[in-house]
Amino acid sequence: MLVKNFEQVVRFYEARQDPSGPSIWLPLVNVTLVTPANSRVSLPLLFDTGASVTTLRADLHPILGLQSWDQGIRVETDTAGGRTVVYRYTYTLEIFGKTIDCPIHLASQLPYHPLFVGLLGRDTVFNEFGFGFWESTHELYLTQSP
Amino acid sequence: MKSSIQIYKEVESQKTIITSISGSGTKSPEEFLRALDKFGIEWYVTEKGTLMIKYWQIGSEDFVSPERAAIIRSDRPSPEQGDELDWLSKNLPNVRGRYSGQWIAVYSNEIVAAAPDLPDLIGQISGFERPLITFIPAEPVVWTFTYAS
Repeated sequence: MLVKNFEQVVRFYEARQDPSGPSIWLPLVNVTLVTPANSRVSLPLLFDTGASVTTLRADLHPILGLQSWDQGIRVETDTAGGRTVVYRYTYTLEIFGKTIDCPIHLASQLPYHPLFVGLLGRDTVFNEFGFGFWESTHELYLTQSP
Repeated sequence: MKSSIQIYKEVESQKTIITSISGSGTKSPEEFLRALDKFGIEWYVTEKGTLMIKYWQIGSEDFVSPERAAIIRSDRPSPEQGDELDWLSKNLPNVRGRYSGQWIAVYSNEIVAAAPDLPDLIGQISGFERPLITFIPAEPVVWTFTYAS
């Protein structure tokens, strides 16, 4: 029988409209972005195995040191909402104890959500780790040496 | 409030315990941390892998690698950093009521800056290390997704 070992636990977070309303649990990850000014900010991202590339909201471009969101490489990509245009960049992320130079897409059509500003996608980032996913316990399991 | 004599005695007691742990032949960082737990000494490991012990706050640089620090910190984050996302999740209704339509920066479990425009927010947060940044939408939020129950 195949056995996988994980040494870290990444928890889900509760999103609730109001104190008495229904809630959902989201797998969110705090990712540190190293800015061009060499400062560090923490960006909450939704762990999204359906996203091929880590994608941030377009209006985050000032924190990336960009004058506008569409300065990068133009890419047409398919999303759940249909075909859309994003712009590709490369930035340094610190995540789960590793520092990774990672492709990042800026997209103007990501929905607003107060608990995350983008999607943590598979390209480059997922190659570095192994993941296990337990919905019932609201936990993600992670290994740095898959 | 503790007197300075009480604090001095606690520190001296901890120094003695930690010295004895260090000299007792513990083999790995994890064993050392378990020994600190056994004696009720509070500790945490920074993202860079520095061991911090309460009261002393003496940094032991290169205690573990950043990769190993991430594993240790997944169970015990630094108290001065806390878990900003957890705090935001628990306080979301209040935060939405007060800061809708604004970018916010959360640090050490409080909102340290807010602004309608991100460049304005960036100008307010230069003194903070790794603040969490997010936008609190004014319009209705889509709370469920195709994969959420």
